Amino acid sequence: MFRLQGSKVLAVDMTGDAVKAKNGSMVAYDGQMAFKKMTGGGEGLRGMVTRRLTGEQMTVMEVKGHGTCYFADRASEINLVSLNGDKLYVESSNLLATDAGLRTGTTFTGLRGASQGNGLFTTTVEGQGQAAIMSDGPAVVLRVGAQYPLSVDPGAYIAHQGNLRQSFQSGVTFRTFLGEGSGEAFQIRFEGEGLVYVQPSERNTIGGDV
Amino acid sequence: MPFREVNSKMVEATVGPGQKMFSQRGAMLAYKGEVSFTPNIQGGQGGLMSMIGRRVANEATPLMTVEGSGTVMFGHGGHHIQVINLQGDTLYVEADRLLAFDGSLQQGTMFMGSQGGVMGMVRGQVTGQGLFTTTLKGHGAVAVMAHGGVIELPITPQRPVHVDPQAYVAHHGDVRNKLSTALGWRDMVGRGSGEAFQLELSGQGAVYVQASEEKL
Repeated sequence: MFRLQGSKVLAVDMTGDAVKAKNGSMVAYDGQMAFKKMTGGGEGLRGMVTRRLTGEQMTVMEVKGHGTCYFADRASEINLVSLNGDKLYVESSNLLATDAGLRTGTTFTGLRGASQGNGLFTTTVEGQGQAAIMSDGPAVVLRVGAQYPLSVDPGAYIAHQGNLRQSFQSGVTFRTFLGEGSGEAFQIRFEGEGLVYVQPSERNTIGGDV
Repeated sequence: MPFREVNSKMVEATVGPGQKMFSQRGAMLAYKGEVSFTPNIQGGQGGLMSMIGRRVANEATPLMTVEGSGTVMFGHGGHHIQVINLQGDTLYVEADRLLAFDGSLQQGTMFMGSQGGVMGMVRGQVTGQGLFTTTLKGHGAVAVMAHGGVIELPITPQRPVHVDPQAYVAHHGDVRNKLSTALGWRDMVGRGSGEAFQLELSGQGAVYVQASEEKL
């Protein structure tokens, strides 16, 4: 059972079940807890090799026990996401914790990944349960409908879920080449039905410089 | 004289005639009224011996005395500020986390070895607290700085609390702490979960934990 204690601390009440969390993100606990590093993020040998190859490495630990465990990482804001059989796409660096029952994997993102400054691959979380994602500043959740496509700055994008198609949009004009660009040369466009999580801060991306 | 939280990163204190308070030097942001700030060479209360004690213990942060009548706003480095009210019990906190505190509180320095002997000293080293820590005792309010938000966890005899040493901020009450290790063969081969050392706090009181594993 995930709940937020303030906006920056995640409290998980456990009764013998387990959660997967980013390595070293525990700040406090009461009761009895055991921490175990999951080699390869608990995805087996194939998952481990994929992660090594794709650079989407994440060190995950399994926390198991009775009591309440508190997680936090570098004072980032935490958002709770409930999954009902759908898939959440999130950068591995923004994923704080997931229910042990959720499956994690890697997926190819194409050009979007490169523009985000995060590499070509991203992490997926799917199944039934809750996940906690981190953002730099409080994130906003934007709904994308069939009539309402959404364009997002690649540096501010953190995660999305639902049935969304993404495409890469570029606003490069002759001005950009003259060094007079607006700093918004690239966007990711989402179409379909789903939710997109956007943070009020931008990572350093190639697109942000031009 | 309690602190009023202006927002999560700023506190406002009211000083009246005859009252005194201490704050970290340079932490004043604004003030109203007639308030004077005098650098406190001694680094807090007590006489010359206390000053030497703090110097030796490396618990001497530059403090200043705030006197007069008016209101003063404090803040430092954009850090989150937590106000802790003490009712006769003792607060244990690192000196560099202290933003401001009531002059009525009794300030002291505690040797980590006095709580748990050699293990206490080891604990100080692991948590980065060093061999000494600052204590504040009495009735009054303390403003403590932390990186990120702070949560307060109550400690009861039935429910000891384990804290990541890097996220530990302060604690008060009748609390015993010891360093518990969960070192296994995994840590030896570099496959640890990153949670090998924990501070175990038991007794009666409360511990303050920050939402980050970074030092100030």
